[in-house]
Amino acid sequence: MNTNLWALLFGIVGGVAGGMGMGGGTLLVPLLSMLDIEQKIIQAINLLSFLPMSIIAVIIHKKHGLIQGKVLLPCIIPTMIVGTMGALLASSARNNVLRFCFAVYLLAVGVWQTVLSVIAYKKAHLRKQRAMRVIACPTYTQLKAKKRIRRLAV
Amino acid sequence: MNKKIVVTILLSAVSGWINGFLGGGGGVLTVMLLLTVFALPQKKAQATAIAIILPVTAVSSLVYMLKNSLPYATLGLAALGVAIGGTFGALLLNKLNGNAVKLIFGLFLIAGGVKMLLAL
Repeated sequence: MNTNLWALLFGIVGGVAGGMGMGGGTLLVPLLSMLDIEQKIIQAINLLSFLPMSIIAVIIHKKHGLIQGKVLLPCIIPTMIVGTMGALLASSARNNVLRFCFAVYLLAVGVWQTVLSVIAYKKAHLRKQRAMRVIACPTYTQLKAKKRIRRLAV
Repeated sequence: MNKKIVVTILLSAVSGWINGFLGGGGGVLTVMLLLTVFALPQKKAQATAIAIILPVTAVSSLVYMLKNSLPYATLGLAALGVAIGGTFGALLLNKLNGNAVKLIFGLFLIAGGVKMLLAL
């Protein structure tokens, strides 16, 4: 299939991920790396293709009042400075170095997110277990019933 | 107060580096920063993170464009795909369990990372 067609398809997949807040491009880059495109170019494609969607998203979010204005400047300044430096450095870096670094980044974020979700599942599970145990205990339900009757009688 | 400033600068810098040097992403760290240091609720954190990443994405894009010759046809289609997919993703987000999504994507990211390492 034509490279450009794959780009469209991968764009859709990557876009869904980005739209769900999973960070722009975390799926797009590995997908594009299956095609015969330089890592540097893939990164450029990634950045540029998320630009229009980000602009629209920000406009919509601003309308819904979801953007916290106060934190913008203190966060944007360091991000911009280091980001610009990084972009300049990337153009003189080798493609396989960039690919390696990106792969490491994906693994790190992937492991981190997986661990977080497993912890969240465990917490929810424990909470459920505790709740079931409490409800199953006859003394507890009797106590609750008595309290309710007393409250209603007042 | 000081600790907050240091963490903010540090995480923002790393996030910017990921955006500039690795060409994208970085938003994950910004969201984390907003959730912890600034204690924003989840939705606000994600929305604000996009706003924070936007300028650096624009500048990085410019740098990449000036320093490389880009395949604009491929780029255009990818951008179109992202716009379409992003709309779906945002709509889908409301309907799915947040934690399940996190788990699935975490696994996908690991798979992606491994795939890229193997392709080296």
